[in-house]
Amino acid sequence: MKKLIIAAFLLAGLLPAFAQEQAPKLYTLPSPYDRYTHYQVTARYTGAIPAGSFSSNYIDKASFENYSIALEWVFQNSFSVGGEIGYSFFKKRLPRATYQQTDGSEISAIQTRTLTQYPIQAFVNYQFAPKNASIQPYVQLSAGASVLDYTVYYGILADQQQKVRPTYGIGVGSKFLFKKDGNFGADIRVKYQGTSYDYDYIDKGISSINGSVGLFYRWW
Amino acid sequence: MLRKASYLILSVSLWLTSCSKDPVNDLSDLDSQVFITNHDKSANFKTFKTFSISDSVTVVQDNRSGTALTSLDKDVLTRIITNMQNLGYTYVAVDKKPDVGLTAARITNTYQDVSYNPYSSYWGGFYGGFYGYPSYYVYETTESYWAISMLDVKNADSTTQSTDGKRFRVIWDAQIRGGGLANQNYVDEMVDAAFRQSTYLSIK
Repeated sequence: MKKLIIAAFLLAGLLPAFAQEQAPKLYTLPSPYDRYTHYQVTARYTGAIPAGSFSSNYIDKASFENYSIALEWVFQNSFSVGGEIGYSFFKKRLPRATYQQTDGSEISAIQTRTLTQYPIQAFVNYQFAPKNASIQPYVQLSAGASVLDYTVYYGILADQQQKVRPTYGIGVGSKFLFKKDGNFGADIRVKYQGTSYDYDYIDKGISSINGSVGLFYRWW
Repeated sequence: MLRKASYLILSVSLWLTSCSKDPVNDLSDLDSQVFITNHDKSANFKTFKTFSISDSVTVVQDNRSGTALTSLDKDVLTRIITNMQNLGYTYVAVDKKPDVGLTAARITNTYQDVSYNPYSSYWGGFYGGFYGYPSYYVYETTESYWAISMLDVKNADSTTQSTDGKRFRVIWDAQIRGGGLANQNYVDEMVDAAFRQSTYLSIK
């Protein structure tokens, strides 16, 4: 009788184990980043190379004083939309030269050419990989407007114009997650950005090729 | 979380816009100088031979004017004489009927302006949003420059009845703007530069 009771207890102990092995696993749902739409904020540091007639007519020197921050809403399909605010600054100094003015006068000065731009754009990304892949390439289209400050200095005398002008961009990049299903990652993007603008030395708009590295944080 | 992110982005953007740098504060005084010259296209400089120069520098400060002859002024006048002689002109006294007359002036204009800073002082903190009293302030900008003028004395219009006698046409003027305008070490370079870009003055 005692042996039966002990055997019964043993079986009672084993049965739940059997039951567990056959039950469905409760803790392997897809990641929340796949299940829900989530948000992402990205801060970037950019190097910009002037291109086109902007480079040949005005400033051809690359700028490493460009920053931006973006907020993005990532959908469950491969798209995401967001907005990005940036700052970029181009500057070039020319040695002393004499410039003929339209009123017949000549100005001899050291010319410093600058362009400050605050692009404010909305963008759409298309992702090629699932949300938890460690490398996620994407393409981006953006459009918006830039607040421009065009200032040419002759010595310390300035000729300045500030305007708001339309801006567009097309880019390709990739996100790199630090940890599977994690919140942080790095982002590298190459983007062509153009702004339509016509004043003084710039006659066919401002265009540049920007390469940026950034860090992003995502949450849901 | 979205609210916090939006605050973060908004404050970063405000910080970015309030950063203003001065791209020309690394220019030395001589590099910052700008020489603006203009001349009467119908004047034929080859018809002039002699020149004289006023014996003092006109000083114009806002709306008041007077004359002065500090050692800086003397250096400027002397350097103008040297440059004119190098161009082939002969220096004569004022009463010996020169063909052209030169004057030099030091002009200072002070402007007062009112501006306001929309981001001043009263941040209400992260959660309250910001309420600001824009602070208004008055600032002064001073603009000074040298002006050298060449007057056509030979062809002066003596038929007009003006209280100051004859009327002279300005056939050449030069303005020197920028920094270091009162530095005596720069006088030679400054005056030379103004004449250097006016090669049409030469009668050699």
